[in-house]
Amino acid sequence: MNISRRDFLRLCTASSAALALSPLDIFRLEQALANPAGPSVLWLQGAGCTGCSVSLLNRVAPTAPTTAADLLINTINLAYHPNLMATAGDTAVAVARQVYNAGGYVLAVEGGIPTAFGGNACWAWAENGHDVTFADAVTSLSSRAAAVLSVGTCAAWGGISAAYPNPTGVKGVSTVLGKATVNIPGCPPHPDWMVWTIAKLLTGSLGSLDEYGRPRGLFSKKVHDICPRKDKGETKTYGVDGRCMKELGCKGPDTKADCPTLQWNNGVNWCVDANSLCIGCTNPTFPAQSLRKKEEAP
Amino acid sequence: MPTVISIDPVTRLEGHLKIEATVDYVQGVQQVVDAHAVGTMFRGLETILMNRNPLDAPDITQRICGVCPVSHGMASSTALDRAANVAIPDNARIMRNLVLGSNFIQSHILHFYHLALQDFVEGPDMAPWQPSWHVDKRVTGGDSQTLVSHYVTALDMRRKAHEMGALFGGRLPHPPAFVPGGFTTTPRPDRISKFRAYIDELISFIDTTYLPDVATLEHYYGAEYSQIGRGTGNLLAYGVFDLDSTGQKKLLKPGRAVNGGNAAQTLDVNAITEQVSYSWYDNRTNNLRPSAGATTPQFPKNGAYSWLKAPRYNGAAYEAGPLARMWVNGDYQYGISVMDRHHARAREAQKVANALRDWVGQLNTGGAVHRRYATPSTATSVGLTEAPRGALGHWLRIANGKIANYQVVTPTCWNASPRDASGKRGPIEEALIGTPVIDVVQPIEVLRVIHSFDPCLSCAVHVMRPAEGAKIFHLGHYRA
Repeated sequence: MNISRRDFLRLCTASSAALALSPLDIFRLEQALANPAGPSVLWLQGAGCTGCSVSLLNRVAPTAPTTAADLLINTINLAYHPNLMATAGDTAVAVARQVYNAGGYVLAVEGGIPTAFGGNACWAWAENGHDVTFADAVTSLSSRAAAVLSVGTCAAWGGISAAYPNPTGVKGVSTVLGKATVNIPGCPPHPDWMVWTIAKLLTGSLGSLDEYGRPRGLFSKKVHDICPRKDKGETKTYGVDGRCMKELGCKGPDTKADCPTLQWNNGVNWCVDANSLCIGCTNPTFPAQSLRKKEEAP
Repeated sequence: MPTVISIDPVTRLEGHLKIEATVDYVQGVQQVVDAHAVGTMFRGLETILMNRNPLDAPDITQRICGVCPVSHGMASSTALDRAANVAIPDNARIMRNLVLGSNFIQSHILHFYHLALQDFVEGPDMAPWQPSWHVDKRVTGGDSQTLVSHYVTALDMRRKAHEMGALFGGRLPHPPAFVPGGFTTTPRPDRISKFRAYIDELISFIDTTYLPDVATLEHYYGAEYSQIGRGTGNLLAYGVFDLDSTGQKKLLKPGRAVNGGNAAQTLDVNAITEQVSYSWYDNRTNNLRPSAGATTPQFPKNGAYSWLKAPRYNGAAYEAGPLARMWVNGDYQYGISVMDRHHARAREAQKVANALRDWVGQLNTGGAVHRRYATPSTATSVGLTEAPRGALGHWLRIANGKIANYQVVTPTCWNASPRDASGKRGPIEEALIGTPVIDVVQPIEVLRVIHSFDPCLSCAVHVMRPAEGAKIFHLGHYRA
């Protein structure tokens, strides 16, 4: 049986206790029913690990969209996403093609683009009996996109997938396209960085990008400069609360991100509060040749 | 005349997979008579690890997979612990288990509700739930509405499972707290009490929602789908969740079952080799043990059709995953099928969740979490563990203090492997044989079999072309 959009709202309302939906949430759901679907988003995955998408599902915030479900139901029309879409095969490819024909969509790319082996180290799909490399799929779909988002460090600059010696010749999206993209780095990116960028993009208030294509509204301060452990004395071994970990190789002094104030997973923790390092995952140079230094006797 | 159908992309799994299945009538029933599982991506993470600082291995290997990074962190740090002969503190062992267990629960919930369920139930009339294949969706009325609303509830539950794991892991996915020598986080009392609140809520969800929802699926589909998708009948587990510092006692012990036999057999790691006859790797690297393995891509290569290697145990194909683990532990031995994989996965989620509640109470808030780690200049080692979707091994060699070789054998390499040198199919390929197909344009039955294995293909993978002259049906016609 098919469940209409309206029935779905009623179901969500019925289970609002489990969902912790507030009256405001219900109101927003009702508003969404009155409006046509939000802007279409095509989300493609290349040479990556799906971690960006998993991180996006961890969204929870007091402001809309408050959760991943809210994002899917009320904010965007996620027409193509390999992990979430119901359909498969040619039907899935036809969805992407239909959105492409209509134009004006957001193209979100997760993962880098392999260029070795003629691009054959990653195929997006088969279309009309021909295998389509990820490089060709991204290039083709970018031509009618209103905006191209490079989600995660692999899509932005190659990231882990392009680490030395870069066995599959992975490049970032903007390098392959030869034009600027909006880069949301992180390995993975914080869900709030992704949602903030999409929301700002849809309302035309994204603001300026830095020289690496990152929104200045998100990536302006260095981790170390806003770290609660700054100037708190250093540790040369793991498992010590409260101490700065520069001696262990912490990349906080060279990394722009707001992790110390935003924190991760609904604010329960973040890399440094776990006595581990910032490994610089929002940097164009990530992963550096040596992420961690050896421990010394205290 | 047989029909070759091709599904590319296979959606609702992690990574890139293409399935080609030959469908024909056998005794009047249209069914799959041959199948090729084709990965569609190769990243070469093993090559990236060569000559790197061994301390980087847990951070790099976690990024093989955003759905099961914790398992790679566990395998990698375990391999490094063993390389240096370090016994980690009990607190570290327990916190590693707590984070890994949290991600098992996250992954199992995600798999059932968000990856598999839409093969059986129609979603709401909007993207990404539509369009879909409108074939054989038997769940009706209130049951259908309940399952669809639980899709949304489950999004919150899997998020909370990640928050629970991040309390100790630092963040998820890609937790930074897994380091050789132990763990970095301290088990502060506030973290322990928050963990307890999360695990109680998740146990309640598993008991009162997840397990009953699997029972609902059984009600509508069990008669058929407990007979469909058996595969090789061989099951393999490396074991996971060490219960003491020796690693000899585990919540889920290692073992094998041969052809559905009830008595678990022992597991000898040295019986594992990787074959590459049908994979895009140099044939000179065929049938090597992972400890001496090589990843030498060769594209194109005559006869090859996948970026995945074919792991074999004494030359035989084995299925890995929750059913294998629960089977060799005697927790679930009702059958090997699509439906049995869903049952075993849900029951394993319950078993792990109950264990987490016990383990968090065993943390010593003032105790050590880490021992100072000195990288050996020369060592060989292996880290065996389990990902939510099956057995995972990291084989490591260190020379001159650098990584000299690193081989990863992922569970989906076992399950989605191509044919081996003797031409025997991999487990998913074999499980597809005999699967009835109502509509070759919308072969939903094929998706059900594939999804029951919870494939996760980021590890490696791709490419198969059908034989010359084979008739290709392109699946699905989008109806605007």
